[in-house]
Amino acid sequence: MKLAIVVQRYGPDINGGAELHARYVAEHLARHADVCVLTTCARDYVTWRNELPAGTDRVNGIQISRFPVARPRSPHAFARHSDRVFEQPHSIADELAWLDAEGPATPALVRHLKARQHEYDYFIFFSYRYYHAYHGIRAVASKALLVPTAERDPAIGLGLFPPIFRGARAIMYNSPEERAMIRSVAANQGVPGVVVGIGSEVPDRLSPERFRRKFRLHSRFAIYVGRIDENKGCRELFEFFQRYAARTPGDLTLALVGTSILPVPPHPRIRHLGFVSDQDKFDAMAAADVLIMPSFYESLSMVALEAWALGRPVLANGRCDVLRGQCLRSNAGLYYENYDEFAAALLRLGEDRDLAAALGANGREFFCRHYSWPVIEGKYLDMLQRLQDEDADADRRKAGGGRRNGAREEGRGERLPGWFARRRRTLPPAREVMEALPQGPAVSRESRVASRE
Amino acid sequence: MADFNIRSDSVNVEEIMQQIRARIREKRGVDYTEQEIRDLAAVKLEKFLDPSKVRSDLLEQYRQLQRDQANPYLDIDEDLFGSPRPWVGKVRRLLRPLLKLFVNPGPLMRAARLESVCHAQWEEERRQLQQLQLFYELIHNMVVETTRLGIEVKNLKMRVESLSDRLDFDERRARALEGTVQYRPAATPAPAGAEATGPRDEEGGAAAESAVSKSRRRRRRRGRRGQGGTTEQTPAQAAGSGESGAHAGPRIEGEAGPAATPEANRDERPGASPEGEIQPREAGHGPDTGPGSQEPGT
Repeated sequence: MKLAIVVQRYGPDINGGAELHARYVAEHLARHADVCVLTTCARDYVTWRNELPAGTDRVNGIQISRFPVARPRSPHAFARHSDRVFEQPHSIADELAWLDAEGPATPALVRHLKARQHEYDYFIFFSYRYYHAYHGIRAVASKALLVPTAERDPAIGLGLFPPIFRGARAIMYNSPEERAMIRSVAANQGVPGVVVGIGSEVPDRLSPERFRRKFRLHSRFAIYVGRIDENKGCRELFEFFQRYAARTPGDLTLALVGTSILPVPPHPRIRHLGFVSDQDKFDAMAAADVLIMPSFYESLSMVALEAWALGRPVLANGRCDVLRGQCLRSNAGLYYENYDEFAAALLRLGEDRDLAAALGANGREFFCRHYSWPVIEGKYLDMLQRLQDEDADADRRKAGGGRRNGAREEGRGERLPGWFARRRRTLPPAREVMEALPQGPAVSRESRVASRE
Repeated sequence: MADFNIRSDSVNVEEIMQQIRARIREKRGVDYTEQEIRDLAAVKLEKFLDPSKVRSDLLEQYRQLQRDQANPYLDIDEDLFGSPRPWVGKVRRLLRPLLKLFVNPGPLMRAARLESVCHAQWEEERRQLQQLQLFYELIHNMVVETTRLGIEVKNLKMRVESLSDRLDFDERRARALEGTVQYRPAATPAPAGAEATGPRDEEGGAAAESAVSKSRRRRRRRGRRGQGGTTEQTPAQAAGSGESGAHAGPRIEGEAGPAATPEANRDERPGASPEGEIQPREAGHGPDTGPGSQEPGT
């Protein structure tokens, strides 16, 4: 079986969530199939400048084909288009202009997909909201699997994407909340979908003591790992932790790992360690008492999964449906929606070692059961096998003169409206659509029982 | 944190979160945020006015109202024939009879007067409306403050109840400890001579004062006892208060004399169990009501 992973950026030093996800999936599926990666020459997701050479390359044994980005993103134009489609009534043409402005505009990649689609059995597209996924899925819909990595942001409310969610052959969701959101916006229940998520490359040997010595962090600490950004909820985290530190005696420190975009407040109990190596990151998480995830928007928190893999409890922002759902399903993390809950939960995790250990143990079990690589690989392979069976069945019917499989073709022929209809401003602001979507963690009774068992 | 009751082998995050939230609610009691107070006040206000129309520039509005009140009513003659320039006004008034020969200004003046009255009435109504709005605002502020005060009173009541409970407990504990302190040393038997001297001293004891050196020593001792002693004495204490009664301190710490009768001590200690321990109910209150039991940071 020949698979192509289609992703906006790819490389060993590119650590964005979806990109890392794509790399892990490519490297693990390469053990079971012939995998190559189709991507762009960009490294920077803000400008999409062509920084890497076009052509073929190899990363960790995987063949990469890079295609140049036709034009870099203009932040000004993108902001203008975003304002129009997110906040005002608009047309399909406006949304297409927004998609072009967002980028990475790679018509060469789309042309390659169209021209060479017969060389691949299936294409796995990452991140529904980018140019390559939208145009790529439209070009090779009958072979397209989508890993949407959708968050609860206004882009999910655009009118462009529901046909894509209905048109892909299969969707590999990151979480039940993501699946519920996409099904609600696109009504794509007929498209095969499975909640897969992503595993992690946790090192075999960890040394928390080495980390403590290296960074001279000898007190107990809570850790945040990721970009230190307002969008990630870090401003609220700083505010809450400073209040907590002022009111609660003790030595619990907040350690921050990651590049800082938001200024870190000078506080004796807040330590910014900067960008660290993977080994240091995992050592730090192993040494921490608890991982804090303050983000408001996530499609799946890999960091939380890594903390659980290491047997550490998580304290998450309960206003993020996905994080809250993860905590409830795993029984491995507490969550907060305001300062009082933040302080009480953090105090509880700090004081009650038994509880922290039990949550950590649940987390480890949850990770092993749902996010270990054999499980993830198995889900991908099962889905690919299912699609192959469907294709074989359809081919047999075709050879026998029968009707093609309706499920396979369903929703795949959705065309864009005509020139005039495309310019009619009849679409509501995307933010309104997003806000009307159902909210809350998708935790069923069965999943809770299963997670307890 | 003692009332959380989760076994580590059966963790349920949802339950823990419910417990945490219940505990937060319990701790906050009737303590509300500013927004919640306003919401509460708005609910009360909605019964009789629309809080959204309440203005915040109360003082300025009152001042403006005062200024508005200074506006004079329209003077028809003055406005029709007057002028800012005095000589023009004078000429107009001189020519006024002449003007009446050509036109009849009566209806015009009546209309002007009517307009003036209407305007005055409108002004008055406007002013009343403004005043009403100001009253609304005053009422709004009063309701907010009353709500706040009500909540504070509830808080204070809870606090007073808590303090009085704590005080009761402290008193009971103090009594129990006093009992321990008073009766354990009393077990030391008082010598017969001492029993005899006690009453003699109280009656005057003139015969005993014959020995000068002994008497001085006794007086000194008595003086010391009088300063540090307790006013309430049980019969057992009185029995032990003789010369040979020695000191109270060491006795309290359990250094009872050889002839002490434990049975007597046990029987007479208030609030003590037969085994010589403080009643468990009182002792058990310590960690719950003591000041140190309050969780920091919440």
